[in-house]
Amino acid sequence: MSRDTPVRPPTPAAAPPEPGARRAAAGRRRRASRTEARNARAAAGFLLPFLALFGLCFLAPIGYALRTSLQRTERTGPLGLGGQEHEVFAGLANYAQALADDRFLAGFGRVLLFGAVQIPLMTLLATGLALLLESAAARGITFFRSAFFLPYGVPGVIASILWGFLYVPGISPLVKIAQSVGWNVDFLSRGSVLWSLANIVTWQFTGYTMLVLIAQLKAVPGELYEAARIDGANAWQVARHIKLPMIRPALVLTCVFSIIGTLQLFAEPMVLRPLSSAIDSGYTPNLHAYSEAFVGNNQQLAAAEAVLLALVACAASFGFLRLVGGHGKERG
Amino acid sequence: MTSSDATSGGTGGGGTAGGAPRRRTVLGGAAGAAAGLALAGCGAGPDGGAPKERKKGQRISLTFWSWVPGIDKPVDLWNRRNPEVQVRVEKVSAVNGQQYAKMHAAIKAGNPPDLGQIEFPVIPGFLLDNGLRDLAPLGAARHRDKFVGWQWQQSVFGKGVYAIPQASGPMGLFVRKDLFDRWEVQVPGTWDEYEAAAKAIRRHGAWIDTFAPTNGNRFAGLAWQAGAAWYATRGDTWIVHLDDGPTRKVADYWESLVRQRLVKTIPDRQNAWYKDIQTGAIPAWVGASWGDALLAGNAPGTKGKWRAAALPQWRPGGRAYANWGGSTTAVFAQAAYPRDALDFAVWLNTDPQSLALLIAGGYGFPAARTGYAPAALDADKDFFGGQAYSRVFADAGAHVDTRWRWGPGVDTLYQRLGDAFTEALADGSSFRSVLRKVQGQTVADLKGKGLKVESGG
Repeated sequence: MSRDTPVRPPTPAAAPPEPGARRAAAGRRRRASRTEARNARAAAGFLLPFLALFGLCFLAPIGYALRTSLQRTERTGPLGLGGQEHEVFAGLANYAQALADDRFLAGFGRVLLFGAVQIPLMTLLATGLALLLESAAARGITFFRSAFFLPYGVPGVIASILWGFLYVPGISPLVKIAQSVGWNVDFLSRGSVLWSLANIVTWQFTGYTMLVLIAQLKAVPGELYEAARIDGANAWQVARHIKLPMIRPALVLTCVFSIIGTLQLFAEPMVLRPLSSAIDSGYTPNLHAYSEAFVGNNQQLAAAEAVLLALVACAASFGFLRLVGGHGKERG
Repeated sequence: MTSSDATSGGTGGGGTAGGAPRRRTVLGGAAGAAAGLALAGCGAGPDGGAPKERKKGQRISLTFWSWVPGIDKPVDLWNRRNPEVQVRVEKVSAVNGQQYAKMHAAIKAGNPPDLGQIEFPVIPGFLLDNGLRDLAPLGAARHRDKFVGWQWQQSVFGKGVYAIPQASGPMGLFVRKDLFDRWEVQVPGTWDEYEAAAKAIRRHGAWIDTFAPTNGNRFAGLAWQAGAAWYATRGDTWIVHLDDGPTRKVADYWESLVRQRLVKTIPDRQNAWYKDIQTGAIPAWVGASWGDALLAGNAPGTKGKWRAAALPQWRPGGRAYANWGGSTTAVFAQAAYPRDALDFAVWLNTDPQSLALLIAGGYGFPAARTGYAPAALDADKDFFGGQAYSRVFADAGAHVDTRWRWGPGVDTLYQRLGDAFTEALADGSSFRSVLRKVQGQTVADLKGKGLKVESGG
């Protein structure tokens, strides 16, 4: 891995120049259209596998969720047991019910608070680590890069179980140490459990974010550093005025990833729920939808909540992009 | 071992069945009323068509979802004896009702297993999904007399029989006798004495128990003991009566213990709780018969120090008991060979050798009337210092109020209760407001499921 700019891949589907230039215009047009058709067929052939999977695994489920979210179940038969059930059109009733549910809305508030604290913190940490590892004075770069990235390789559920053991009083060495110095800490209490979750997420994703930033840092042309050195810039100035502006796109990208990931928070609270009396079944919007679908057996309401969650994630991501995009233009 | 919630125990050897004819009559009436209505529904319902018959000599394989510890041993025995009908156990998690989430999802997706471990409270919820096969047309009724009456009735709706009972869980009180003696605390016989004991224990830095906000099962059991009746039916209408006098009494009582800081509020049967049980930080537990294996398995270092006692009473000298858990083996509606599945379910829960293996695994109190020696239920006798502790639970089982009925949506109800108690612990609102709130939510939930429902006055 060098600091060279990555080699651009050759433009695909570039038609070879035609040898016979002196042809009748009509013939040329015909040929051109035939070439176009051939190209279109080739493109379609290449795109088809992707589009098929995209449709099957992405569009179809979304369509299904949208349809489900507009339905409700009607049951006939005495006491409703063992009778017949059918789905009927319910309009936006499920959406109304979801939006009227305090706990569902509280879940949004919770993940927004989580994001407002955790995302800046993690981004700062990751940027710091990336700059340190890419600084001229860094030693043992490969080792530290792998070490920082390693938690990302641990699945979220496993990570939560591991941290769960570190949080549970009576078992956790952390709690024991804290208590031995007179600090009566409870990682699973109402006030602290959100930040215990934030800690797990930070532990997991800082290395990943760092790696994205490092990749972008590696793409910064060497001439810029050289020019800066000639101008007498010190390491701090290089970081501040060259590296940071150059990795801005990567920072924006990781922030968007984090925003979406935060809104979808699920595995961590799900795993810690049995351990803590402070996490209810609607702690995050995703957990709420899951509970409605699989405990309450109300897939229609859950689908409506999932659609709402997707809309909020969309709005938050594009809102963020707009926000930082605007600043960029002003500055540029 | 966190999952024994569901592993339930049974009414001890034939207690209710023989001992309380009056209760049975009452139950029969209630069941009959519920049944008549459901019956009409069944006629119209898509009950899966005619069952496929296995041809003689044909080899089939059935899948069985369960979480009961040691269930694979009787299943292995069955497989050795029945080479043509092989049963494959797939373990499912029983933490926070995840096993039922999985089952409901599988029913929705059209690929449930053939057999499943299903607790009494959630059977109506599965009927709502048309998830269970009615075993009555397959001749299930001829097995009725093999089981304790009220437990058999738990899965009877109308003329339909939707599961074969396995075990129940009569409730009782487990105590660390050594610590109670050392601290000169009497084992409480009433709830008043229990509170006094809680105060005395607190003076020694320990806590008598935890009020786990998300444990709806135990709270239901305590309300059941106090005489509550959360579900009833009138005509074809469900009547939900969660916010009733007895339940309020129980809620007030535990709220007072929580506010006085006499009990912890950590989740039970989780790591922190196990640790407290091991160290004596929590020297007692309001549990159920299946708790013997749970304690012995998770706190082996406290061997010989535990005793079982009767559940504290509201009236001195009372004999009101309740059930925590209670489990069945059910056949799913889509099972291809329901007749073989039924044969297995009946064998599993009545065959003496199967029962012996289940008892050794700690599955609870058998629903079968015969086929086991009551003494075998004292599987962890040494752990309880030689006490014949199963007698405590046999007595409780014989006096369980069998009028209690479960309704649809109990898993949602537990979740609502858990969320509301969690909130009440956080913001200090009263436990009575929890009942009011969950009462309203449950009525709305059942309405949302397309059922006729009324709020009990």
